[in-house]
Amino acid sequence: MRAILIDDENSNLENLRTLLGKHCPQVTIMATAQNVSDAVDAIGKYLPHLVFLDIQMGKQTGFDVLKLLPMRNFEVIFVTAYDQYGIQAVKFAALDYLLKPIDIEELIIAVSKAEHKLATQIQTSQLDFLLQQLKKPETNVNKIALQMQSEIRYVTLSEIIRCEADNTYTYFFLANTEKILVSKSLKEYADLLRPKGFLRTHQSHLVNPKYVKSWLKEDGGILLLTSGEKIPVSKPNKETVKQALQQL
Amino acid sequence: MKKIIFLFLSFFISVFIVNAQKGINFSRTSMAGGKLLMCVDSSAKNVFYAQMFPNQPRTSFNYLPEVNDVSIQIYFRKNINTQHFRYTILADNKPIVVNKSIDRTQLKDVDRGDEEVFRSTTLGVFPIKGKTITTLIYSIEKPLDIDKAVFYGKPIPRARIKALSKRFATDKGVDYSYITDPKEKTNLFFAEKDNELTIVKDRSDIDYVYYTSIKDKQTNKIIFESTAWNYGGYVDESHELSPYVKIDKNVFKKSGDYEIIIQPLIKWNGCHDCDISPKEIEKYITRYTLVISLDKENYTKKELLIYTLIVAFSIGSAFLVILYFNKKRNKKKLAEKEQQKNIAKLQLNSIRSQLNPHFLFNALSGIQNLMNKNEIDNANKYLSKFARLTRNVLDDKELISLSQEKTLLDDYLQMEQLRFGFKYEIIHSEDLDLANIEIPSMLLQPFVENAVKHGISQKATDGKIMITFIKQANDLVLTVTDNGNGFDTEKKHNGLGLLLSDSRLALLNSIYKENRFTLDLQSSTNGTKISLALTDWL
Repeated sequence: MRAILIDDENSNLENLRTLLGKHCPQVTIMATAQNVSDAVDAIGKYLPHLVFLDIQMGKQTGFDVLKLLPMRNFEVIFVTAYDQYGIQAVKFAALDYLLKPIDIEELIIAVSKAEHKLATQIQTSQLDFLLQQLKKPETNVNKIALQMQSEIRYVTLSEIIRCEADNTYTYFFLANTEKILVSKSLKEYADLLRPKGFLRTHQSHLVNPKYVKSWLKEDGGILLLTSGEKIPVSKPNKETVKQALQQL
Repeated sequence: MKKIIFLFLSFFISVFIVNAQKGINFSRTSMAGGKLLMCVDSSAKNVFYAQMFPNQPRTSFNYLPEVNDVSIQIYFRKNINTQHFRYTILADNKPIVVNKSIDRTQLKDVDRGDEEVFRSTTLGVFPIKGKTITTLIYSIEKPLDIDKAVFYGKPIPRARIKALSKRFATDKGVDYSYITDPKEKTNLFFAEKDNELTIVKDRSDIDYVYYTSIKDKQTNKIIFESTAWNYGGYVDESHELSPYVKIDKNVFKKSGDYEIIIQPLIKWNGCHDCDISPKEIEKYITRYTLVISLDKENYTKKELLIYTLIVAFSIGSAFLVILYFNKKRNKKKLAEKEQQKNIAKLQLNSIRSQLNPHFLFNALSGIQNLMNKNEIDNANKYLSKFARLTRNVLDDKELISLSQEKTLLDDYLQMEQLRFGFKYEIIHSEDLDLANIEIPSMLLQPFVENAVKHGISQKATDGKIMITFIKQANDLVLTVTDNGNGFDTEKKHNGLGLLLSDSRLALLNSIYKENRFTLDLQSSTNGTKISLALTDWL
């Protein structure tokens, strides 16, 4: 698997090279780059399968590299030191990322995921989606990529009625009555969608307030949705949900 | 004029110039009621003739205040048998002619050019100034049908109210209370039991001339009118019956000023040469003011409706105002609550952010040791753990899932294991959904840190820490147990972590009102067990 490593700090490049060499022998490092233009050149030259892309690169970003490329037919694993600019967008695009210092286990998992994608030749447009979302201010992000078994679905947030946990999986219930199973925990989506106004009413439920019809007082608190479904509100979430609904 | 007379009394001839008699120029003729005409001198003014009154079908009243003499003629149709007629004349109620027949020899044909010819004779000429002449005429065939004509030469006296009386209900029936000779302005109080007002007028020969009305002075509306008088029950000093009129209490709807007006029912403009000013007329009118206070006000339907609406509106607007302020207050309360909560959250964050620096740097030292021992993989492993721990502190997330908490505790304890060779175990109820149940982040870390520090750090490899996540009905119970030497629970605040935990729990309790965070601490020389219960959390 041809790979290119992009990071503005040499020590990070060296470290990643060492770890990959030791733990991911299937990865062949074709080149490393420490700035955007070198990165674009290297990708054009080596047509890698996999790119490790640092997000913050001095004054520029890893996203700038992507913008400058006409073809983006490779897998990207973003690398970042801390939850900074863009990581939220990466999450919304359901793309993979690693945090520095790199956890070896996480690295192995990310590489094998990329390998799997390349092997099954799933063509995705997640990078296009990411770049689109990045054009907008963060508050206007209104779509999310959902990684399904064999495809990626882009769903408008206003289409989502609610999410329900099934252990480490999450069901999405859409306005068109579709039900999508995604292999990430509800907790992760709760963290993503709470800033978008979604309400965590219960350990197993995340609800789009747009579809809340009324608050039923039975059993300590139940939300009646416009779809007719009744969603429980657990005690720890009661105050927050009540307040959020009052402010609507 | 002629035409009118003719039209009104078709069997009389109207125009008739009486010859001058006794030097009086009787040049003006009017009908006088019954079969009579009267003539008055041409210079006489204000001749109010043939006035009729309610309930007095056969009485005709002629008011002649400025006439000196009057000549009275009787007229008969040609086909009427004049022999049957008798007449009586009274001057000031004293008879001067009684039941006299018509002197047929004196009857003359009167032809004024109309189709019908009447026969007429003069009954007499009388001085009328300051006097009253009354004629009574009937046919012996119908002796009950007496036509009465009154020629009133005196000023009509002003009526006077002799008494006002209130009728009120008693146990036995009714009784009356009186105000005799009331003043022109009289206060009158109507209690609930009072039900009727009676106005007693002074008696006169011509009571029928007067009528009574009551005006509401606030609205200037006449609320009561009566042309009839009752008799019986009230007698005056000369034992004559006094006329009275009864007025239901309900006529007076509200407290306030009312005017009783008693005046002659004279058509002041229906006369010869009427030249009587309103001021003159006023002289005939009696006015009394009643200042009425009602125990219970009566209201008309319209007023009731208006009052109801006003009351409803007032209540409604008061309600709205209250609602508005309530809402405002609630909003303010809510805002205050929110603010308090935010403050609590901020305080919570600041408490949460404190990871023991002692631990941080010791952990880094441990990693350094691994590097120096060339244990690269271990160094990597612990570095990742260290990064995850510090990242979690920096992330400042309010809530993390139980599985995240478990990972963090694993990370932490494994790092501590580098320093102290104890054993630990994290177990949880099978039915706990670790991935999705959230708890405030770094909730247990201070207790675990305490267990390491005070519990097992001295015991080295014999030390053991057990952490459990247990589901108890709806409660989530988290415990940390160690087999260390224990510590004095009374002086439990000897570690910074525990001190912070205490205030943190207080803050959490203020944020999660529906749940309770309770901490139980048991410590002995055999070990310490802390148990943190989150009630109704699941």
